[in-house]
Amino acid sequence: MAALQLLVNGVALGAAYALVALGFVLVLNATSAVNFAQGDLVMAGGLLAVAVAPLIPLPGIALLPVVLVLMAALGLVLALAAYLPLRRRPPVSVFISTIAVGIILQNGAAILFGPEPRAAPPLFGDDTLHIAGLAVPEQSLAIVAVAGLLIGAQQWVFARTQLGRRLRATAQDPEMARACGVPVTAMILVTFAIGAACAGAAGLLLANRYFVTPTSGGDLILKAYIAVTVGGWGSVPGAVVGALLIALFEVGVSSVLSYPVALGALYLTLLAILVLRPQGLFGEAVRRRG
Amino acid sequence: MSALLSIRGLSAGYGGADALDDVSLDLAAGETVALLGANGAGKSTLLKALIGLVPARGELRLDGADLGGLATEARVRRGIGYVPEGRRVFPGMSVRDNLEVAGRSAARDRAQDVERVFALFPDLAFKSRESAWRLSGGQQQMLSLGRALMGRPRLLLLDEPSLGLSPKLADELFAAVRNIAETGTAVLLAEQSAARALTVAPRAVLLRLGRVVGDGLAAAVSEQALHAAFFGG
Repeated sequence: MAALQLLVNGVALGAAYALVALGFVLVLNATSAVNFAQGDLVMAGGLLAVAVAPLIPLPGIALLPVVLVLMAALGLVLALAAYLPLRRRPPVSVFISTIAVGIILQNGAAILFGPEPRAAPPLFGDDTLHIAGLAVPEQSLAIVAVAGLLIGAQQWVFARTQLGRRLRATAQDPEMARACGVPVTAMILVTFAIGAACAGAAGLLLANRYFVTPTSGGDLILKAYIAVTVGGWGSVPGAVVGALLIALFEVGVSSVLSYPVALGALYLTLLAILVLRPQGLFGEAVRRRG
Repeated sequence: MSALLSIRGLSAGYGGADALDDVSLDLAAGETVALLGANGAGKSTLLKALIGLVPARGELRLDGADLGGLATEARVRRGIGYVPEGRRVFPGMSVRDNLEVAGRSAARDRAQDVERVFALFPDLAFKSRESAWRLSGGQQQMLSLGRALMGRPRLLLLDEPSLGLSPKLADELFAAVRNIAETGTAVLLAEQSAARALTVAPRAVLLRLGRVVGDGLAAAVSEQALHAAFFGG
């Protein structure tokens, strides 16, 4: 029963991590750039929810569309300011510019909100349901449901719509996508917007149970990085599965030992994967045939 | 026939070095022209300059409209289709998605165009749900060609389509190119295999070291001119 309880908690945490990793891997695929600001975008989404909540006296779920739209706009600003002007420079330029954006977001948040932890409202309610002997917080169920819906909707867009095909083509071969008539720059902007919206949604989902501070993004970008490495660099399904796995690992080891031990073990696992299986556990078997 | 494509004084290259030097060329609507020359003659660079993938100087017009300064995707919308050397299909996407991504915005138009491509290349129809990387080299080449047709081009640029294909597959592919040309699409075909290219193109342009060194009816292209284009002298 204890294991099942941990599973429920791990899946809820993993669902939110999956959104963070998903946004990270989408931008990575579309631009080959590692967006080091992704964790700080999660923090920004959480604090945005905290700021907007008093203006909308409704359950937290009503904040979701507001957070998605405003964070997508922030993603556009990020792309216009920190990616597009540097896209033809060496990759390290974009690494540094996204790190700079992250620091600006952290300091901006510290000025506006102060350093103390804050909590966003629960999505539906903060009661605990008792299901077959398990204590399941409503917020955990809501996190899984909302993250699942968002990830499912995104998968549908990518698989079934012309916008999704264009986004995937841009990610796989931007030059050839242009030669197929795809407006690649617009697709990159859309990708940054989706990536930031995912981060914002994760921020809203996490900021109730786990609180949010201006520096909480640093931990999350590492989690996203680990999830993408575990899942296979560039693999979208791998990023989601990787996020679930690291959350289950974190919750499981924390319950038996402690959170610091869980984090240490997580980084050791990352190191082992990088050395022994650099393509990740679910590295995509995509290759060209002659 | 009026000129569909007009090129005047075109120079283009990579990193400051010109691979094309002062190329001028006209192509009529519906005409098929073989672009012949050795490796490094500038054939691929010319096609990339036309589609906008390498920066170029000079005058480029399609149906009288200036293409200079237009981005690649805008040139595609104006009616240029491009089949690159090495196929470059989107490997992680299905055959159908590879086609649809290059298609029109309206789903019904796209579906009709996909069916037209499947009619031209029935092998692709059987593999429509397969990831493109699983296809054989010949099938990938068909997919690359079909993808270019999805934009309903008036001018099709083909870069070394027979490269790496068996003679039988290359013949099948050239038969398809002949069918496409017969529908009225102009074709500019860069090819190292002169003999094969001249089976579909009534006219040949010879390139050597980035310059046009011959332009005339395929039947009139002499062995001597071909030898000069490929080997100098």
